[in-house]
Amino acid sequence: MAISINIKELCFQYGSETVLENISLFIKPKSFISIIGPNGSGKSTLIKNISAVLRPSGGVIELGEQNVQNMSSRDIARNMAVVPQEGAVEFRFTVQDIVLMGRSPHLRRFQTESLEDYRIAKRTMELTDTWKLKDRFVNELSGGERQRVIIARALTQEPKIILLDEPTAFLDIQHQIEILELLERLNREDGLTVVAVLHDINLAARFSKYILLLKEGRIIAEGTPEQVITQENIKQAYEIEIIINKNPFSGTPYIIPLKVSREQKIIQNSRIHVVCGGGTGTAIIQKLMEEGYQLSTGVLNVGDSDWEISKLFDIEMVEEAPFVGISEEMYQKNLKFIENSDKIILSGIPLGFGNLKNLQAVEYALEKGKKVFFIKQYEQFQQFDYTKGVGSDIINRLEKKGAVPCRTIHELIDKIN
Amino acid sequence: MDSLILQKRKRQFIYGSLFLILFMTIVVTATMGTANIKVLESLKIVIHQIPLLGDIVDISAVQKNYVVIIQSVRLPRIMLSVLVGIGLSISGVTFQGMLKNPMADPFIIGISSGAALGATIGIVLRLQWAILGISSISIFAFFGALGTTFLVYNLARIKAKVPVTTLLLAGIAVGQFLTAIMSFMMVAFSGDMHRIIFWTLGSFSTKSWTQVKMIFIPVLLGWGLLRFYAKDLNAMLLGEESAQHLGIEVERIKKILLALNAFIVAMVVSVSGIIGFVGLIIPHIVRLMVGPDHRILIPAAGLVGGIFMLMADTIARIIIAPMEIPVGIITALFGGPFFIFLLRRKKNSLL
Repeated sequence: MAISINIKELCFQYGSETVLENISLFIKPKSFISIIGPNGSGKSTLIKNISAVLRPSGGVIELGEQNVQNMSSRDIARNMAVVPQEGAVEFRFTVQDIVLMGRSPHLRRFQTESLEDYRIAKRTMELTDTWKLKDRFVNELSGGERQRVIIARALTQEPKIILLDEPTAFLDIQHQIEILELLERLNREDGLTVVAVLHDINLAARFSKYILLLKEGRIIAEGTPEQVITQENIKQAYEIEIIINKNPFSGTPYIIPLKVSREQKIIQNSRIHVVCGGGTGTAIIQKLMEEGYQLSTGVLNVGDSDWEISKLFDIEMVEEAPFVGISEEMYQKNLKFIENSDKIILSGIPLGFGNLKNLQAVEYALEKGKKVFFIKQYEQFQQFDYTKGVGSDIINRLEKKGAVPCRTIHELIDKIN
Repeated sequence: MDSLILQKRKRQFIYGSLFLILFMTIVVTATMGTANIKVLESLKIVIHQIPLLGDIVDISAVQKNYVVIIQSVRLPRIMLSVLVGIGLSISGVTFQGMLKNPMADPFIIGISSGAALGATIGIVLRLQWAILGISSISIFAFFGALGTTFLVYNLARIKAKVPVTTLLLAGIAVGQFLTAIMSFMMVAFSGDMHRIIFWTLGSFSTKSWTQVKMIFIPVLLGWGLLRFYAKDLNAMLLGEESAQHLGIEVERIKKILLALNAFIVAMVVSVSGIIGFVGLIIPHIVRLMVGPDHRILIPAAGLVGGIFMLMADTIARIIIAPMEIPVGIITALFGGPFFIFLLRRKKNSLL
């Protein structure tokens, strides 16, 4: 039988400090909800209120039809299991002992575990890959192993709802994915409701059906991963800039955090024009933004990741339609940009007939007497020149005419400054 | 499943051997002392004392005065020390588990100071009356102990909860305060200092069946009731929040366990004085032997505590006979090094 969680206008205060403010949320049976948000946003406190460890200062949390505050711990435990953030056990219980404790809400005071209880425990240990640890002492396990044992114990309660507070914090990448896949499977196949605090936004986006984004005790966004994981929301919650891609395997939003904030101040006098493309300029643009240069970029195809970051930082740019070569019109516009700049940078773009015009533009800059720097790291690619040598010839010519080769971005920045 | 049966067998073996050891210790220690009683004679007399079994052995061949010595002098003392050992050990186990603190013992929240102050008042007032054979000093100690627990509990309480840290701190503060009063009284009434010191060191000398009858039911009943809460204590070892998530009403269980322990310890202390070390060390030793599972730990610790206390008292009684040493000295003198020996051998597995 499925059971819902209904949070109505929940408020919570530690002393005079408000931690949660007016949280309302209906968690349908069989949901998979992730709660994300920066540190101190109230994620764990929300979990503790739902699990009745804390008593709300205002509002009500209902499990099914009942207020959790009026339910016995035993009744709650039969419906809802909790995997707390830190599960250190200092006592020498075996893994099997610990997992079997998950049966306690179903046992009477003097009842010992039956064969059936053992079978349930065995199954959850197998699911969580802990069966092989069953005779080990829990205080001698690694953090990740212990976490899986705690999850096995929670599942042994045979709950309808499982609450997890950063369940993957101690886990290596393999077990992170394994545990989340397990939860996803239990959610899909057995209809287990999963409510998890996750701090990895990408994992949250990949595994959950619904995401709740908290900041300073309030919900600032909720909905499907696509609805919640937006540049605006993440910026508002975490105060960082991100680029959103699609996870190529799951099709879910995938964020790449950037370093600088959009409100970077311009503190350098010289204007720099960056000729880039295909993501080769992303790091250069970020670095130069940090240094406080006034930038322009081009020519970039719409949708290119260098185009995305230029858009994000409101950098002036010469844009071309996606997936076509550079038109004469844009080439001329690019030359104008170059004329207006003091220094020109050519990132290590692969050379193709589509962007030869960009190289020619750089050559034009040299002829105009502009200082040109370029990233010379083509050796690292198997093949970078798709122009049967035409592009390479231009590169060589640029160097002869005085373009400054730089091996790394650090070297580039040093030389520019 | 095999492990289920194996576990059950293991438990039965542990209980069986401990019972046998306890019984043999009773029989052997009953022979020790000035009268030259043989082990076989002692065995007959002891079995004869057991209800229902008594009639199957014939003690007519045993010297009458031996029967009297064992029946009315040694056996009450033996039974009393066993019961006190049980009471202190199971209470130590519970406090350590409930407070998740390896330093905890039955006296951690000030019970000993309360009892000692009560006894001191009784001694200083030179009260001679007794109720049902129980001396006024015992009665004062009992109420001193219970009253202290009550006071500490209420000081530590924050709304409906009793956080472990506040409980420990309140216990220490109240304990120190009461000890200060007791020390002051010892100075003020220096003529009674000797008796007060002897009382606080604990002793089973001059005790009779009266005291045994008095604590027999409370200790055994308390033992059974504590075993009732073994699973809750196991879960509480994982932390109070985790225990709650497993369906345990943590605050309620804490209150029940506190009350139960206060009662057992107050009873025990009122007849024996303050015997230290047993309630701290025996739980650790037994945990090293059988693991932290309270379902085995509580019965086993009781039995080991009884055996240990009986041995300690026998040493106290005979080592410089006819003089007697307070048994509290023996428990620390022998228990301390033994525990350190175990600790060194199994360094990382204390808990």
